[in-house]
Amino acid sequence: MFSSLRIAIVLTLLALGGTGFMWIKKLQGDLEIARENVAKMEVAVQVSEASVATLQADAVRSAELNASLQRELQTAEKYGDELRATLQKHNLTALAQRKPGLIEDRMQDATNKLWDDLRGITDPNGVQQPDAGTQNSNSN
Amino acid sequence: MPEPKIVTVTNTVKTTVPIVARPKGAQINDVKIYVVTAENYDEFVKKFTDKNGELAYIAISVKDYENLSLNFAELRRYIEQQQQIIIYYEEAVKPIPEEIKNN
Repeated sequence: MFSSLRIAIVLTLLALGGTGFMWIKKLQGDLEIARENVAKMEVAVQVSEASVATLQADAVRSAELNASLQRELQTAEKYGDELRATLQKHNLTALAQRKPGLIEDRMQDATNKLWDDLRGITDPNGVQQPDAGTQNSNSN
Repeated sequence: MPEPKIVTVTNTVKTTVPIVARPKGAQINDVKIYVVTAENYDEFVKKFTDKNGELAYIAISVKDYENLSLNFAELRRYIEQQQQIIIYYEEAVKPIPEEIKNN
Protein backbone atom coordinates (compact mmCIF):
# COMPACT_ATOMS: atom_id res chain seq x y z
CA MET A 1 0.00 0.00 0.00
CA PHE A 2 2.77 2.35 0.89
CA SER A 3 4.56 1.68 -2.40
CA SER A 4 1.33 2.27 -4.35
CA LEU A 5 1.01 5.67 -2.69
CA ARG A 6 4.61 6.41 -3.52
CA ILE A 7 4.06 5.47 -7.17
CA ALA A 8 0.93 7.63 -7.28
CA ILE A 9 2.84 10.59 -5.85
CA VAL A 10 5.68 10.11 -8.35
CA LEU A 11 3.24 9.83 -11.22
CA THR A 12 1.39 12.93 -10.04
CA LEU A 13 4.68 14.84 -9.75
CA LEU A 14 5.69 13.65 -13.20
CA ALA A 15 2.32 14.69 -14.61
CA LEU A 16 2.57 18.10 -12.91
CA GLY A 17 6.11 18.52 -14.18
CA GLY A 18 5.10 17.55 -17.72
CA THR A 19 2.14 19.88 -17.66
CA GLY A 20 4.30 22.69 -16.32
CA PHE A 21 6.90 22.03 -18.97
CA MET A 22 4.28 22.06 -21.70
CA TRP A 23 2.77 25.25 -20.30
CA ILE A 24 6.15 26.97 -20.23
CA LYS A 25 6.85 25.81 -23.77
CA LYS A 26 3.51 27.24 -24.88
CA LEU A 27 4.25 30.51 -23.11
CA GLN A 28 7.61 30.69 -24.82
CA GLY A 29 5.94 30.07 -28.20
CA ASP A 30 3.33 32.75 -27.52
CA LEU A 31 6.04 35.16 -26.45
CA GLU A 32 7.98 34.51 -29.66
CA ILE A 33 4.85 35.13 -31.75
CA ALA A 34 4.17 38.30 -29.77
CA ARG A 35 7.73 39.49 -30.43
CA GLU A 36 7.32 38.79 -34.15
CA ASN A 37 3.99 40.62 -34.11
CA VAL A 38 5.56 43.65 -32.47
CA ALA A 39 8.31 43.67 -35.09
CA LYS A 40 5.76 43.38 -37.88
CA MET A 41 3.64 46.11 -36.32
CA GLU A 42 6.68 48.38 -36.23
CA VAL A 43 7.31 47.69 -39.91
CA ALA A 44 3.63 48.28 -40.65
CA VAL A 45 3.75 51.61 -38.83
CA GLN A 46 6.85 52.61 -40.79
CA VAL A 47 5.16 51.66 -44.05
CA SER A 48 2.06 53.62 -43.07
CA GLU A 49 4.14 56.67 -42.19
CA ALA A 50 5.98 56.41 -45.50
CA SER A 51 2.66 56.11 -47.31
CA VAL A 52 1.30 59.18 -45.55
CA ALA A 53 4.47 61.11 -46.43
CA THR A 54 4.16 60.01 -50.06
CA LEU A 55 0.51 61.05 -50.16
CA GLN A 56 1.33 64.42 -48.62
CA ALA A 57 4.16 64.99 -51.12
CA ASP A 58 1.84 63.94 -53.91
CA ALA A 59 -0.82 66.39 -52.74
CA VAL A 60 1.69 69.25 -52.58
CA ARG A 61 3.01 68.39 -56.04
CA SER A 62 -0.50 68.16 -57.48
CA ALA A 63 -1.35 71.57 -56.05
CA GLU A 64 1.82 73.06 -57.55
CA LEU A 65 1.15 71.47 -60.93
CA ASN A 66 -2.43 72.64 -60.87
CA ALA A 67 -1.44 76.21 -59.99
CA SER A 68 1.13 76.18 -62.78
CA LEU A 69 -1.45 74.85 -65.24
CA GLN A 70 -3.95 77.55 -64.30
CA ARG A 71 -1.27 80.22 -64.84
CA GLU A 72 -0.38 78.82 -68.26
CA LEU A 73 -4.03 78.53 -69.29
CA GLN A 74 -4.50 82.14 -68.32
CA THR A 75 -1.40 83.20 -70.26
CA ALA A 76 -2.76 81.51 -73.38
CA GLU A 77 -5.80 83.82 -73.20
CA LYS A 78 -3.67 86.95 -73.43
CA TYR A 79 -2.99 86.80 -77.16
CA GLY A 80 -6.69 86.80 -78.06
CA ASP A 81 -7.48 89.45 -75.47
CA GLU A 82 -4.80 91.74 -76.83
CA LEU A 83 -5.90 91.13 -80.40
CA ARG A 84 -9.50 91.99 -79.54
CA ALA A 85 -8.32 95.15 -77.78
CA THR A 86 -6.20 96.14 -80.78
CA LEU A 87 -9.05 95.58 -83.23
CA GLN A 88 -11.43 97.57 -81.06
CA LYS A 89 -8.94 100.38 -80.69
CA HIS A 90 -8.37 100.87 -84.42
CA ASN A 91 -10.86 101.29 -87.21
CA LEU A 92 -9.17 99.03 -89.70
CA THR A 93 -11.59 99.88 -92.52
CA ALA A 94 -10.87 103.59 -92.22
CA LEU A 95 -7.14 102.96 -91.96
CA ALA A 96 -7.22 100.71 -95.03
CA GLN A 97 -9.09 103.41 -96.96
CA ARG A 98 -6.57 106.09 -96.04
CA LYS A 99 -3.30 104.14 -96.14
CA PRO A 100 -3.79 100.86 -97.96
CA GLY A 101 -0.08 100.34 -98.57
CA LEU A 102 0.83 100.81 -94.93
CA ILE A 103 -2.00 98.59 -93.70
CA GLU A 104 -1.12 95.95 -96.29
CA ASP A 105 2.46 95.83 -94.97
CA ARG A 106 1.25 95.70 -91.37
CA MET A 107 -1.24 92.93 -92.13
CA GLN A 108 1.36 90.98 -94.07
CA ASP A 109 3.91 91.26 -91.24
CA ALA A 110 1.33 90.31 -88.63
CA THR A 111 0.12 87.37 -90.69
CA ASN A 112 3.68 86.17 -91.26
CA LYS A 113 4.26 86.44 -87.52
CA LEU A 114 1.15 84.42 -86.83
CA TRP A 115 2.41 81.64 -89.12
CA ASP A 116 5.78 81.76 -87.36
CA ASP A 117 4.06 81.59 -83.97
CA LEU A 118 1.96 78.63 -85.07
CA ARG A 119 5.06 76.87 -86.38
CA GLY A 120 6.74 77.59 -83.05
CA ILE A 121 3.95 76.41 -80.77
CA THR A 122 3.45 73.22 -82.76
CA ASP A 123 7.17 72.45 -82.89
CA PRO A 124 7.58 69.12 -81.08
CA ASN A 125 10.97 70.22 -79.74
CA GLY A 126 9.65 73.40 -78.17
CA VAL A 127 7.04 72.49 -75.62
CA GLN A 128 6.79 75.84 -73.89
CA GLN A 129 4.82 78.71 -75.33
CA PRO A 130 7.05 81.06 -77.33
CA ASP A 131 5.79 84.55 -76.57
CA ALA A 132 2.07 84.29 -75.97
CA GLY A 133 0.47 87.54 -74.98
CA THR A 134 3.41 89.82 -75.56
CA GLN A 135 2.55 93.44 -75.99
CA ASN A 136 2.39 95.05 -79.44
CA SER A 137 3.07 91.87 -81.36
CA ASN A 138 -0.37 90.82 -82.38
CA SER A 139 -0.18 88.75 -85.48
CA ASN A 140 -3.57 89.87 -86.70
CA MET B 1 -5.74 31.03 -26.71
CA PRO B 2 -2.67 31.49 -28.93
CA GLU B 3 -1.53 34.96 -30.04
CA PRO B 4 -2.98 35.75 -33.49
CA LYS B 5 -0.42 36.08 -36.24
CA ILE B 6 -0.27 39.45 -37.99
CA VAL B 7 0.45 39.31 -41.67
CA THR B 8 1.53 42.59 -43.30
CA VAL B 9 1.38 42.76 -47.06
CA THR B 10 2.64 45.98 -48.65
CA ASN B 11 1.80 46.43 -52.28
CA THR B 12 2.49 49.82 -53.84
CA VAL B 13 1.18 50.20 -57.35
CA LYS B 14 2.40 53.22 -59.37
CA THR B 15 0.59 53.98 -62.56
CA THR B 16 3.09 54.17 -65.37
CA VAL B 17 2.08 55.81 -68.60
CA PRO B 18 4.63 55.90 -71.41
CA ILE B 19 5.06 59.41 -72.74
CA VAL B 20 4.54 59.36 -76.48
CA ALA B 21 6.32 61.59 -78.96
CA ARG B 22 4.59 64.77 -79.96
CA PRO B 23 3.15 65.13 -83.46
CA LYS B 24 5.28 66.82 -86.09
CA GLY B 25 5.02 70.59 -86.23
CA ALA B 26 2.44 72.32 -88.38
CA GLN B 27 3.56 72.82 -91.98
CA ILE B 28 2.27 76.28 -92.75
CA ASN B 29 2.39 77.99 -96.11
CA ASP B 30 2.84 81.72 -96.45
CA VAL B 31 -0.06 83.83 -97.68
CA LYS B 32 0.14 87.13 -99.55
CA ILE B 33 -2.31 89.79 -98.51
CA TYR B 34 -3.48 92.72 -100.61
CA VAL B 35 -5.34 95.71 -99.26
CA VAL B 36 -7.45 97.04 -102.10
CA THR B 37 -9.44 100.24 -102.29
CA ALA B 38 -11.10 102.10 -105.16
CA GLU B 39 -8.03 104.32 -105.39
CA ASN B 40 -5.41 101.60 -105.73
CA TYR B 41 -7.50 99.04 -107.61
CA ASP B 42 -5.71 99.48 -110.95
CA GLU B 43 -2.35 99.21 -109.26
CA PHE B 44 -3.54 96.08 -107.47
CA VAL B 45 -4.75 94.49 -110.73
CA LYS B 46 -1.35 95.05 -112.32
CA LYS B 47 0.58 93.84 -109.29
CA PHE B 48 -1.68 90.84 -108.85
CA THR B 49 -1.63 89.85 -112.52
CA ASP B 50 2.14 90.16 -112.67
CA LYS B 51 2.47 87.83 -109.72
CA ASN B 52 -0.27 85.30 -110.42
CA GLY B 53 -0.69 85.44 -114.18
CA GLU B 54 -4.41 85.95 -114.20
CA LEU B 55 -6.94 88.03 -112.42
CA ALA B 56 -8.93 85.76 -110.16
CA TYR B 57 -8.93 86.31 -106.44
CA ILE B 58 -10.90 85.73 -103.30
CA ALA B 59 -11.78 88.92 -101.46
CA ILE B 60 -12.83 89.35 -97.89
CA SER B 61 -14.00 92.46 -96.12
CA VAL B 62 -12.01 94.12 -93.39
CA LYS B 63 -14.57 92.90 -90.88
CA ASP B 64 -14.23 89.33 -92.10
CA TYR B 65 -10.45 89.67 -91.98
CA GLU B 66 -10.82 90.68 -88.33
CA ASN B 67 -13.04 87.68 -87.73
CA LEU B 68 -10.49 85.45 -89.42
CA SER B 69 -7.80 86.87 -87.12
CA LEU B 70 -9.96 86.26 -84.08
CA ASN B 71 -10.67 82.72 -85.24
CA PHE B 72 -6.94 82.05 -85.57
CA ALA B 73 -6.41 83.57 -82.13
CA GLU B 74 -8.97 81.15 -80.74
CA LEU B 75 -7.29 78.20 -82.42
CA ARG B 76 -3.94 79.35 -81.11
CA ARG B 77 -5.34 79.64 -77.59
CA TYR B 78 -6.83 76.17 -77.87
CA ILE B 79 -3.54 74.64 -79.09
CA GLU B 80 -1.55 76.33 -76.32
CA GLN B 81 -3.97 75.31 -73.61
CA GLN B 82 -4.10 71.73 -74.88
CA GLN B 83 -0.30 71.66 -74.80
CA GLN B 84 -0.24 72.92 -71.24
CA ILE B 85 -2.75 70.26 -70.21
CA ILE B 86 -0.54 67.61 -71.84
CA ILE B 87 2.48 68.99 -69.96
CA TYR B 88 0.44 68.86 -66.75
CA TYR B 89 -0.40 65.20 -67.27
CA GLU B 90 3.16 64.35 -68.25
CA GLU B 91 4.42 65.96 -65.05
CA ALA B 92 1.72 64.30 -62.98
CA VAL B 93 2.71 60.78 -64.00
CA LYS B 94 6.42 61.38 -63.39
CA PRO B 95 7.84 59.84 -60.20
CA ILE B 96 7.94 62.23 -57.24
CA PRO B 97 11.47 63.67 -56.84
CA GLU B 98 13.24 62.54 -53.65
CA GLU B 99 13.75 66.11 -52.37
CA ILE B 100 9.98 66.67 -52.39
CA LYS B 101 9.36 63.31 -50.75
CA ASN B 102 11.81 64.06 -47.96
CA ASN B 103 10.37 67.49 -47.17
